[in-house]
Amino acid sequence: MGENGRAGRGSAPPFVVLEGITKRFPGVVANDDVSLELRPGEVHALIGENGAGKSTLMRILYGMYPSDSGRITIHGEEVRIHSPRDAIARGIGMVHQHFVLVDPFTVAENVILGDEGGPILQPEESERKVKALAVTYGFQIDPHSTVEDLSVGEEQRVEILKALYRGVEILILDEPTAVLTPSETSDLFENLRRLRADGKSIVFISHKLDEVLEIADRITVLRRGVVVGETTPAETSKAKLAEMMVGRPVLFRLEKPAVEIGEPVLRLEGLTGGRLDGLSLEVRAGEIVGIAGVEGNGQRDLADLVMGLRPLDAGRIVLDGEDLASRSTAEIRNAGVGFVPEDRHEQGLVLPMTLWENLVLGRQDDPPFVKHGVLSLRTIKDLARTLVRRFDVRARSIDVTAGALSGGNQQKLILARELETDPKLLLAAQPTRGLDVGAIEFVWSQILAQKAAGRGVLLISAELDEIYALSDRILTLYEGTITGEYPPSAPAEEVGRGMLGDVAVRDVG
Amino acid sequence: MAITATAPPAAGSGVKTRPEWLESAIGQGLALLLALVIALGLGSIIILLYGENPLDVYGSILRASTTDKDGPAWVLSSATPLIFSALAVSVCFKGGLFNIGVEGQYLVAMATAAWAALHLGGILPGPLLMWGVLLFGVLGGMAYAAIPGALKVKTGAHEVVTTIMMNGIAISLVAWALNHPLRYTNAPAGQNVDLRTNIFPANAKVPDLGHLFGYGPAPRLSWLFPLAVLAAAIVWFVVKRMRLGYEARAVGASAGSAQAGGIGIGSVQMKLFLVSGALAGLVGMQQILVNNASTNTGGYLPQNYEATLGFTGIAVAFLGQNNPIGIVFAAIFWASLSRGESILPLETNMPREFVIILQGILIMSVVITYTLARRRLERRQTGRVLAEEEIVVTQTTPAEVEGTTT
Amino acid sequence: MSKLGFAVSIAFTYFTIIYLTGLGGLFSERSGIVNIGLEGLMIIGTVTGSFGAYYFGAKLGWGVPAGPIMGLLLGLACGAAFASIHALATVTFKIDHIVSGVVINLVAVGLARFLSTVFFGQATQSDPGQPHLHVISIPLLSSIPAFGTAFQGLSPFVLFPFLIAFPVWWVLNRTRWGLRLRSAGENPEATRSLGVAVAPLRWEGVLISGAFAGLSGAFLSVEIVNNWREGQTLGLGFIALAALILSNWNPIRLMGAAFLFGFAQAIPLALRDWPIIRSIPEQFVNMTPYVVTIVVLAGFIGRVRPPAAAGKAYEGTTT
Repeated sequence: MGENGRAGRGSAPPFVVLEGITKRFPGVVANDDVSLELRPGEVHALIGENGAGKSTLMRILYGMYPSDSGRITIHGEEVRIHSPRDAIARGIGMVHQHFVLVDPFTVAENVILGDEGGPILQPEESERKVKALAVTYGFQIDPHSTVEDLSVGEEQRVEILKALYRGVEILILDEPTAVLTPSETSDLFENLRRLRADGKSIVFISHKLDEVLEIADRITVLRRGVVVGETTPAETSKAKLAEMMVGRPVLFRLEKPAVEIGEPVLRLEGLTGGRLDGLSLEVRAGEIVGIAGVEGNGQRDLADLVMGLRPLDAGRIVLDGEDLASRSTAEIRNAGVGFVPEDRHEQGLVLPMTLWENLVLGRQDDPPFVKHGVLSLRTIKDLARTLVRRFDVRARSIDVTAGALSGGNQQKLILARELETDPKLLLAAQPTRGLDVGAIEFVWSQILAQKAAGRGVLLISAELDEIYALSDRILTLYEGTITGEYPPSAPAEEVGRGMLGDVAVRDVG
Repeated sequence: MAITATAPPAAGSGVKTRPEWLESAIGQGLALLLALVIALGLGSIIILLYGENPLDVYGSILRASTTDKDGPAWVLSSATPLIFSALAVSVCFKGGLFNIGVEGQYLVAMATAAWAALHLGGILPGPLLMWGVLLFGVLGGMAYAAIPGALKVKTGAHEVVTTIMMNGIAISLVAWALNHPLRYTNAPAGQNVDLRTNIFPANAKVPDLGHLFGYGPAPRLSWLFPLAVLAAAIVWFVVKRMRLGYEARAVGASAGSAQAGGIGIGSVQMKLFLVSGALAGLVGMQQILVNNASTNTGGYLPQNYEATLGFTGIAVAFLGQNNPIGIVFAAIFWASLSRGESILPLETNMPREFVIILQGILIMSVVITYTLARRRLERRQTGRVLAEEEIVVTQTTPAEVEGTTT
Repeated sequence: MSKLGFAVSIAFTYFTIIYLTGLGGLFSERSGIVNIGLEGLMIIGTVTGSFGAYYFGAKLGWGVPAGPIMGLLLGLACGAAFASIHALATVTFKIDHIVSGVVINLVAVGLARFLSTVFFGQATQSDPGQPHLHVISIPLLSSIPAFGTAFQGLSPFVLFPFLIAFPVWWVLNRTRWGLRLRSAGENPEATRSLGVAVAPLRWEGVLISGAFAGLSGAFLSVEIVNNWREGQTLGLGFIALAALILSNWNPIRLMGAAFLFGFAQAIPLALRDWPIIRSIPEQFVNMTPYVVTIVVLAGFIGRVRPPAAAGKAYEGTTT
C-alpha cells in the first residue's frame, strides 16, 4: 500500500510483501495492520521509538512469532514462515541487536552451527569456506579466532556472515549501530553498500535518524504499532522524521539549567581494577560529567568500583573530601552516592519483590524504617506511596511486583529510590537504555534537576545523543582510561576518535 | 518542563480486581489441590496394578492416624522433628542457599547435647539442665553449619556438595564420639549393652505433653511440639517482618541488586547458615530427650540413632512450599502418611513402601504445579499492569517546541 | 608396597564409578542442565542392576557373562528412564535445576526401597553373592613385583572408562551433535536463532547422564559388592560432581580427577595400617574422601568455567 506516486529507485518487483500484519501481546498491540515492501538492491530503513513495533514486525518475518492476522508474500507467492530455519530457507536472514554468538566457539563454528554439512565436523574445510565468503564481501575476519576475543564490530561481521553463509537475499539488521563507534559504523555502511550492489535487500531498523538519512533508500516510520509514513531521505528531514515517530514536535535537547559549578564532589585518582587502568576524573557540584565510550572499555567496572561492588586494585575515590576506597557499598551509599545501574534487573531492582519492598532497599537499616530489627511497614509503605506518586510510577498499587512494570516505570522506581536520599553524587549508567521517548525525557529531566540543585552527576552512556544532551563536560573512555576531554560543542567525529583511543596525549581534568 | 501525563487508574477496565495476596493464596491453594489430585491419581494406578481398590488403600492410610486412640499424638510427635528440619532447610532456601546438611548438623547437635546432659548436671539444677541441653544442641548445630557457611562465603564452594560431604563426616564424628569421649561408663554389670552414651539425668528430659490431652505416654508427645510450632511462628515473623528476613529474600531473589543496594551478601548468607543450623540442632532432641527417656531417666544417645530426618525435612519443606505455616501442616500430613506405612501390609496387599512412593510422587507434583502456578500468576500480573499503563501526553511548553536540532 | 598396590586396585574400582557418573554429569551440564541428582540416578542403577544380574544370570540361567552384562544394561536403561523425570521438570517445566535434582535424590531412595520389595522381597538389601563377571588381571602390569597387586583381581569393566574416554571427547568436539549440544549449554539463544531446537538436545544430555549414572551404579552393585544394599552409593554421586568441577567439564581431565577421588576412597579401606594413618582414630580416617572433596571444592571453585548457560532456564523463541 502506498506505493503509488512515489519516486525512487528499485522498480524491480519486490522480494517480500507484508500485508496487514497484526500482532498482539498481553496488554499491547505491537503491530496493527502493518504493510511493507522490500525490494532487491535497496536499503529500507524501519524507524520508530522503543516499543513502536519494528522489532516485532521483523521477528514475525523471521519466523520467531506467528502473526495474528495478515499475510506474507515472497516473490509473489504467499508463504507461512514457521521458524527462523524456515525464514532462512526462504532467503531471509536477521542480525539481532544483542548478538547471539557462542563465545568459546571459533568464528567458523559459529557460522556453520545448524548447517554443518554432515554429522562429522571438518574444521579446516569450514574455515576455508568462511574465509572465502568473507573475502567476497570484503569483510576482515579470521575464521579460526575465538569469538570471545573479538571486538564488537568483528562480532557483528560474524553475525552478518552467518546470514550470508546461508545464501540469504534479505538481511534484517536490528539496531546495528547501537554498539559501534563512529568509524566502525562507517565500515559497516561500506559493507552494506557492497551488499546492496550485489542485489541484496537490506532492512535497517534504527532510531538513529542521522544514520538512517545517510544509508537508507526508503524509510518507513512506525508509531505504536501503526505505519504512519513512508518516505525517502530526499523528501524528508530529521525533524520531520522525529515528529512522525513521536507524533508531536520533539525536542532534541532539553534546556540545561544555568548553574554555578562549585567544588569537586567526586574525585577519582588512578583507579585500577578490572578493565580500568589508572582512571582519573573529577565531578564538581552542579556539573554533569558524561563518560562516552563503546561498551566493553571499562564502563561496568567503573560503576562497580565506585560503588564498592568490586575490590580496587589501586587508586583513590574521594567523595566530598572523604576517602571511600575499600569501603562497603552500604557505607558508600550512606556517604551520599546514588546509583542508577546499567542493568536494572541484575543490579537495580529485585523483580519478585513488591514496589514498596524495592523502594526501601538500601535503607532497611535506617531508623524510621526499622526498629529493633523489625521493619516498620506503615512507614515504609507511606514513603512508597509518596514516591510512586511523585515520580509518576504507573502501577495499580504498591503491592505489585517490580517485575510486572514496564521498563520505563522500573527505571522511574529506581530513580525515585536513589534520589529520595538527596545524594551528593548521582552515578547513572546507561540510564535510558530500552526506554521510549516519554520515559527518556523524564529521566533526563530528573538528571538535570540534580544539576539544578547543585549536585554532581557522573553519567556513563553509550548513546552519544544522551551525552551531548546532558553533559557539561564530555570524557572519553577507552581501554580503562580517560583518553580525552571535550566540551559539548565539540563535533562528534572528534569525540569518536577519543572513544577509539586515537588521540595524542591530552590533558585530562 | 517535564512531560506531564495523566493516567486514569485501572483505565476503565470495570473488572473488580482482587488484592495481590489473595490472588496468590488462591493460586497456591489450587496448585496444591491439583498436585494432590495428580499424586493420588498416579498412586491409584500403582494400587490397581496390585489388584487393590484405591479407596480402600487411601482409606487405610488415613484411618491409621485416627483409629488408635493415641493416633493423633503419634502423628504430632513424629511431626515435631520434621518441623524443625524443614524450617532449617527453608530458612536457607529463602536466601537462595541449599542446606542439604541438616542431616549432619543434627547428628553433631545430638552429640553436643549429650555431652551437656552428662556434664552440666552439677551446674544446672532442676529444669535448667533441660534448657542447657537444648541450648547445647542448638549451638552444636550452629557450629557445624558455620563450616559450610564459611566455605561458601569465603571460597564460593557450592553448599550442596559441601553440606553433603559434611553429612558423611558427621556420621564418623558421632561414631568416634560414641566410642571415645561419650562412651558409656556405667553399664549394668555383666550385661551386653549396645553402644551408647550414659543415661542422662532425669531432669534433662523434656516433659510429656500428651497426658494433658488424655493421651497415653507411648506416643511421646512432648513440649517439643509446641516449641516447634513456636519456632515456625518465629521464622515466619523473621522472614516477613524483620530486616534479616528482608535482606535474605532480597539476596535470594536477586543477589546483584541486593548487593548494589548495600546489603552484605556474605554476612546475610552466614547468618542464614547459623539460623538454619540452630533449628537443625533441635531436630534430634525428640529422640534423645523424649523417645529414649523414661519415668526416671532423661534419655540417651544410642549408636542406632534415627537418621534421615534431615532429608525428610527437605521433602517436607518442599511440600510446605518453604512457608513456615505450610511446613507445619506438611509435616503433620507427612507424619500421618508415614503412620499408614505400618498399617498397610496388615490391611491390604500393598507393601509399606507404597507410602514412600506416594510421598515421592507428591513432592514432585507439588514442586511442578506450584512453580507453574507462580509463573502464571506473574504473567497475569504483568499483563494487567501493562494494560493499565496508559500514558496520555498532555502538553509541552512552547519554549521546548522551539527546542533545537543537533 | 603391595599394600599400596592393593590401594591402587581399589582406587581403580572407585575411579570407574566416579568417572562414569561424572561423565554423565558432563553431558547433562554441557547441554545446559545442572544435574545434582546423579546420586539418585546411581541408586536406581544399583537396585535395577543387581536385579538384572540376578534375574538373567541366576533365575533365567543365562550365567556369566550374560547375566551381569544384562544387569549393567538394565541399570543403564533404568537410570536413563528415571532421569527423564529430571528432564521433564527442568527442560519442559523449567523448574529450578537444583530443586529438581534434590527431588530426584529424595525420590530415588524411596523408589529403590519399593523396587527392592518387588524384586527381592526385602526393603533394604538383596541376597548376597549374585552373578558377576570373572575377574581378570591385566597382563604385564600385574607381574610387577609387589606393586603388581594393583592390577590383579579387577573386574574387566574397569577397562571401560579407558575405552570410551577418547570417543566421548571426539563425539563432543568433532561431531555435529556435539557442537550443537555444547552450543545449547553455552548460548541457547544462539542455537535457537539458527533453527536448532534446544529442548531435544537438553533432553538427550539429561538422558545420557541418567544412563551413565545408572551404569555406574549397576557396576557398583553387580561387580563390586555383588549384591544390592541400601546406602551403598556412599555419596559417590556428589563426589563425582566435585570431580567434574575439578576437571573443568573436560572428559579427559575427568579421568585424573576421578582417580584422585578414587584414591581418597581407597585410603580408609586399604591403607589403614600405614604408619601415619595408623595413629589416627579409625573414624577420622573414614572421613578422608569427604574431606578431600571439600578441600578440592574450596580450593578450585574460582578457577573453573562451567558452560555459560548451565542452570538458567531457556524460555524459548517468544523472547
